Parts: sequence; C-alpha cells; structure tokens
Amino acid sequence: MPSVGVAEIVSTVVQPDLFAAAIRIATPLALAAIGGTICERSGVVNIALEGLMLISAFFGVAAALACPVVLGITGVAASWIGVLAAILAGVVMASLHAFASITLKSNQVVSGTAINILALGLTGFLIQVFYQRTGTTDSAVLIPPLFAFDPKPSGGLATAWNWFSGVALGHTPLVYITIVIAIAAQWALYRTRWGLRLRALGEHPRAADTVGISVVRGRYMAVLMSGALAGLAGANLTLEQVGSFSENMTAGRGFIALAANIFGRWTPVGSYLAALLFGFAEALEIRLQAFIGVIKIPPQFFLMLPYILTVVVLAGFMGRAVAPAAVGKPYEKE
Amino acid sequence: MPVLELRGVTKVFPGVVANDDVSLTLERGEIVALLGENGAGKSTLMNVVYGLLTPDGGEILVDGNPVRIRRPRQAIDLGIGMVHQHFMLVETLTATENIVLGREPTRLGVVDLAVARASVVELSERYGLKVDPDKRVMELSVGMQQRVEILKALYQGARILILDEPTAVLTPQEVTELFGVVRSLVTAGLSVVLITHKLEEVLASADRVVVMRDGRVVGETRPSDTDEISLARMMVGRDVVLRVEKGPANPGEVALEVTDLDVDDDRRLHAVKGVSFQVRRGEVVAIAGVSGNGQSEIIEAIVGLRRPRGGSITLLGHDITHSSTASTIAAGVSHVPEDRHRRGLVLEFDLAENLILGDHRRMPFSRRGFLRPKAIAATAKKRISEYDVRTPSASVLAGNLSGGNQQKLVLARELGRDPECLIAAQPTRGLDVGAIEFVHKRILAERDAGKAVLLVSLELEEVQSLADRILVIYEGRLVAEFAGGQVDAETLGVYMTGGGRGAASGVSTTGGVSA
Ligand SMILES: Nc1ncnc2c1ncn2[C@@H]1O[C@H](COP(=O)(O)OP(=O)(O)O)[C@@H](O)[C@H]1O
Ligand SMILES: [Mg+2]
Repeated sequence: MPSVGVAEIVSTVVQPDLFAAAIRIATPLALAAIGGTICERSGVVNIALEGLMLISAFFGVAAALACPVVLGITGVAASWIGVLAAILAGVVMASLHAFASITLKSNQVVSGTAINILALGLTGFLIQVFYQRTGTTDSAVLIPPLFAFDPKPSGGLATAWNWFSGVALGHTPLVYITIVIAIAAQWALYRTRWGLRLRALGEHPRAADTVGISVVRGRYMAVLMSGALAGLAGANLTLEQVGSFSENMTAGRGFIALAANIFGRWTPVGSYLAALLFGFAEALEIRLQAFIGVIKIPPQFFLMLPYILTVVVLAGFMGRAVAPAAVGKPYEKE
Repeated sequence: MPVLELRGVTKVFPGVVANDDVSLTLERGEIVALLGENGAGKSTLMNVVYGLLTPDGGEILVDGNPVRIRRPRQAIDLGIGMVHQHFMLVETLTATENIVLGREPTRLGVVDLAVARASVVELSERYGLKVDPDKRVMELSVGMQQRVEILKALYQGARILILDEPTAVLTPQEVTELFGVVRSLVTAGLSVVLITHKLEEVLASADRVVVMRDGRVVGETRPSDTDEISLARMMVGRDVVLRVEKGPANPGEVALEVTDLDVDDDRRLHAVKGVSFQVRRGEVVAIAGVSGNGQSEIIEAIVGLRRPRGGSITLLGHDITHSSTASTIAAGVSHVPEDRHRRGLVLEFDLAENLILGDHRRMPFSRRGFLRPKAIAATAKKRISEYDVRTPSASVLAGNLSGGNQQKLVLARELGRDPECLIAAQPTRGLDVGAIEFVHKRILAERDAGKAVLLVSLELEEVQSLADRILVIYEGRLVAEFAGGQVDAETLGVYMTGGGRGAASGVSTTGGVSA
C-alpha cells in the first residue's frame, strides 16, 4: 500500500470541483427545503417532500420522453417541458396533502407519510407500465450548463479564474434559479404582505382569522407552493443531473431537506445554506472514497458522513430552534 | 338610536345553552359593563357579535340596521373591534406588524413599514396608549400587549370596542391606566362593552350594568342605583359573602420549615435570598408581595420544580430540599399552582384524568403500571360533586371548563389527596366572587382540619381575609411579618414596595409573631 501524506490528500480533494459538487448536490435539497419552509411557516407540516420530489422527478422524465412523440418537440426543449410537468406533478400531489390536512383536518404527518408511500409505489408501477421494465426509465436529454467558459486562460489570474469558473460557472440553469428563489423568498417572507400573513398563519392562525385573513386559503397556497418547489427539486435531479428516473432515486433527500429547513430556522436563505452544508458533506464523502485504500478508516465511515452531520447539527446546534407555534395543528374555527 | 343592539340572541353548544334569548343595547359614547360569573356566557355573546361564533337565533342591529355577521372581517367592516380574553397576537411579530395585520399599508404587495409605524405612533399618541412599536410582542409585558390589542382594534376603525375581561391580567396601576384610556375613547365618541366579573370596576367605570347568569340577562341597572352586595347577589343568584368568616387559628407543631433558602430564577439571577419561615399545622401563612419578588421561586423550590441554590426545606422533620415533585407529593405537600393552564391542568385531558395526576402511580388508580378505569371514574365522580365542579360529565376536557370550574378541579385533586401541607399560589386569580368564596372556604377548612397552609397572593384583600400571619417579601427577602388582622393594606403596600424598613422595629421581622 503506497503511503500518502495528509497534505497530498488535502490538495487532491480540495479542488474547485469539490465545491461545485457541493452546490450541485445542495440544489434539490435547497429547493425542497425552501418549499418546506413556506409550508411550515403557514402551519402545515410537510414530511411529504420526499414523495413530492420523487413523483415529480418521474413525471419530469416521462413528459420529456413523451414530448417527441406527442408534441413533436425534441432535445432540450422537451426537457424544459419536462420541468414544467414536474412542477405540475408536485403541485397536484401537494394538493392531496393540502386537502387532507387543511380541509379534512387529518393528521399532517400521516397524510405526508401516505404521500411518500404512494409516490414510491406509483412511480415504480408506472416505470413498468410505460417502459416495460423495472427499476429505471429511458434517458431524457439533459439540460446543459448555462455558461460555456474557456477552461484555462494563461496569465497571473489563471488560478483565481479557474477556481471561480470551476466552482460557480459550470452549473445548470436550475442551480442558479434556486439561488434566486432563496433570496427572493427570503425577501418576500419578511417584506411583503404575503410573507407577513404567512408568518401570522403559522404562529397564531386564530389571530389572523380575527383580522379577516383566510387561514384556509393562505395554507392551501403555501402547501401548493411547496409542491411546486419540490417539483423543481425533482426536475433538477432527473433532467439536470441524472437523465433518467430510477426507483426511489430521491433516497431520503426529502427528509434531509426537512432537516435543512429546521437547521435554517425556517428561513429560505437559512435553508439554502444548510442544504449547502449537507451538500458539502456529501461531496466530501464522494471525494474521500478515492482514498479508501489509503486512509485506515473503514469505507462505511465516509458513507455515514452526511448523515452524521445531519444528526450532529440537529441534536447539537439546534436545541433552540423554534418551530412556528401552530405548525401541525389543523385550524378549528369554533 | 343605539349603535349596537342585540335582540334575543341564542347560542347553543353541545350540552350547554351558552346564550338564551339575550337582548342588549349600547348607545354611542357609552360604557356598558357586562357582568357575570365565569361561564355565564359573556364571551360567547361577544364572540357572536364579532362573527367568531354563529348564533342559533336572534338578531343583531348596528346603527339600527339588521346585520348578519358571519366572519370577523364583517364585524370589523361594521366598526366592531374586540380585545379577546386570550390575546390574539402573533408573538413573533412586532407590535406594529400585529396592529396592521390584515390591513397592511402596501406598495405593490410590499408592506410599507414606515407608513404602518407612523399610523401606530399617531393612534398611540391620540389615545394615550403607550407602546414600543418596534418590539416583538413576546418581549412586551401583558399590559403592553393589551394596549397593542386595543390599538389593533382602533387601527381597523372600531367605533364599538368590546373588551373581554381586560383587567384580569393587569396590575392595579395598569388597571387605572386602562380605565383612563377607556374614558378617553368614549370621549372621542366610541362605545365600549366591558366584560368583567369584578364588582368595584363596574361601579367605578360603567354607565350601565347588564348582569348575566347561566346564559340569560338577569338584570340591568346603573352604578348609582346599586352596590357591590346587590350586584354580587344578582350575578350569583344568592347571597354571597365577599369576605369569609374565619375563626381564630389554632397552630400546632411546625409542619413546613424553610431555612436560609437561596434560589435562582430562570435567568440565573439570585431571586430568593436567605429566606426562612415556618408554617405550623392549623395556620395560614401568607406571603404578600408585588409580582416578581421571588414568591414563585420559593414555591417552586418547595414543591420540587426548581433546584434551590442553598438552604433547606423540611416537612414534618423530613428533609425535602432536593426531593422530586413525586416524592414531595408523597411526603404530603399539595400545590395549587399560580398558572392553572400551564401547571395546574392538562387541558387536553379529561376531568377524570386530571383528577388523578400525581396520584396515578398509586393504588387505587393503578396497579403494576396499568390504570384502573373503574377506580378512577368512581373517585372522579365523587370529587366532582364534592367540589361542585359544574360539568356535564367527567369525560369533558379540562380545557372546556370555565376558569372557576378549572380551579375547583385543581383544588379537588390537590385537597382530595389529603395533604399535610397546602401551598396555594394565587388560588383565586381570574375567578368571580362566587368561586372566590368557595376557594376561600376550602382553604380555611383545610386550616381548621389541622393542615399547614402557605398562601402566596398578589391580592391584599385575599391575604388579609385568609392569613393568620403575613410575611412581606421584597426583592427576594422577607422584610416584615405581621399577625393577621393587625395591619392595614396601606402599611403592607409600603413594605411591599421596599419602604418602611425604618419602622420595622415596631413589628417583629423574624418568626416571632405566630398568633
Ligand atoms: N367552544 C365551546 N364549546 C362548548 N362549550 C362552550 C364553548 N365555549 C363556551 N362554552 C360553554 O358556554 C358557556 C359560556 O361560556 P363563556 O361564554 O366562555 O362564559 P364567560 O365568558 O361568561 O365566562 C360555558 O358553560 C362554557 O363551558
Ligand atoms: Mg369569558
């Protein structure tokens, strides 16, 4: 076994692509987490993020694959239609959660869990129906990165440029859209009438009701918006990262997104930053796997990293995280 | 023409007729007091007016026009504002945000906080309602929160203001300020419905009094034509003793002994400083003081809810300084906590469950970890009738009872286990005269049965009518001791606010004056 120094490992791992990967991995987490933030700020728990992401990841691919046949649209345009389909699928699925938890006043955790199970079963089943096989769909055309840039210009600033372009410029459109959404949602939450009312709904719906704000309408809107954002997350997974859909491909990302929302203290930018932290842990894990033979640490340790980080963050730092006071409680009028 | 008129309003809840054919008028610029015991239906009536509840019958007229109010929004649009018994404020938002919520000044959907803040400041100055517009509600005192509520109603354009038990949560100074504000509101042309069960407030401030009992209007009068005794009789439906009769105390052995107790508060500040006192069997010892001078911390230390920093607490010779609540209860201490909602009851549990809390580990209520429903139900039934808890059944949730009945429930549990020592913190807070009479009688009955009673109260009336010995606490120290009946309210007030120490030589200040 060759001996490798710590310095060598660090210089191999700490490269622009480590940070680029962190941003890439963080994107679906952040989208879903911001969806969770908006939903929970209105007073509705959304543990269905996982299922919402999964179902829209599937319908995104399915729509993109159907486009050439049905609409005669091919290539990247088809994939963009897939993105719209993913959003729509997320919204439709979220409307089930909204109906169950707001109109029927059923337990929101149960409703969310039901949606997660439904999404898993339904997508697995539809793969078979549409593509006559199990496990994976065909591949759609991936949406390419937004910017093309020259890899290595010469000159004194070459290193800085390579780092900047390597970290920030190689991404697909939804990665940038996510950053815009995080900032815009943060602004909207704290500056607009919609945001003020949303915060009131999640803290004290009766107080909102007594000044004439419709609790039901506000909560429906919030849940549907979380569906749309989880839909974008699903679209990013299949149409920008992987190309095809495979069974249970979200693999718990919806739950990590939920944790990111909590770690981000129910704020959009906080959610984004928390997602970035989780993304970084996963990116690091992937890089470090290359050294499994070298470092005398069991390989499972690296796989555990993102999850350990989640647990440490939630248990250690988050003792004082305060959820919206009315979250999870159906609103009873009398 | 009255600004507001109710004709035959009826509202039925499952098992209760909360409002039975209630009629009422309110003239412009008038203060009408709606007086009644807890559970009389006052809040229900006003919630109907505010559109929070849908009436089962009757008519509401505003400015002479019949109106249907089905949502608070409609009430607001008609110029009706309401300050609820439990504030409708979003704690995490600022005072300004709360006040403008629902009618935010916006530009293209963006809240214009500068405009909002300016209107709040303007209103607050016009009516003398001082608030800090930028503080979050959770950082405001209760009195300040109430002003935010009133400002909220005014901001929404209220001409008719309903105040539901506004004084229940206020200190005496805040009450005086509130009535000043109310007067300036009626001078400005508003009309006010003041819900209360405090007789002196009614007599001092109202133009007209409407008395409710069991969902019906049982009388209407003017303050000049009545007095406290007859109002109390109208309200309760029988003669009420405003001050219970009490025989001389017969103190026995020392039951509770607190020595050099030091306790920190939630902020880790030294709140109780070397406090020592004894409570003997057969006497009521009261700790009088202004809220926040260490009373709560003393009690929490005794009952095991707070770890003392130093000193000792013994009950009948056993050291209970560091006992858990479970072993403190087992040792014979019962506790009527100051906040019955947070500490006295589990509001989501039914009455029977609440009645065995703390005893649930013991026979006959459980055996080998299993509850015994029959024994629980039997005891619940007995205690409910013994303590006159008014409820359709033992399976009603505690949260659905009125305040007075909730307090009777707490007493039924705490006294039902036959303690050696009763610790009662503000046992009549928020209760009406009938319920106060009941609670006071029960406490004295415990004393006469040879129990030691430690009372903590902010109400000097209560201290004076119950205590055999009065200890005055100020900034965590006992600053004076008096024999019951030997001191007037003014003197107590002086000691409670840190004065009078020079004169303290005239009275004993350490454990000497035990009746
Ligand atoms: N939401 C409700 N459901 C069932 N019963 C209720 C409800 N609200 C009030 N009540 C009952 O109606 C009666 C009147 O209550 P309330 O109007 O709150 O009295 P008050 O304000 O005079 O103390 C009480 O017996 C109470 O238990
Ligand atoms: Mg009431």
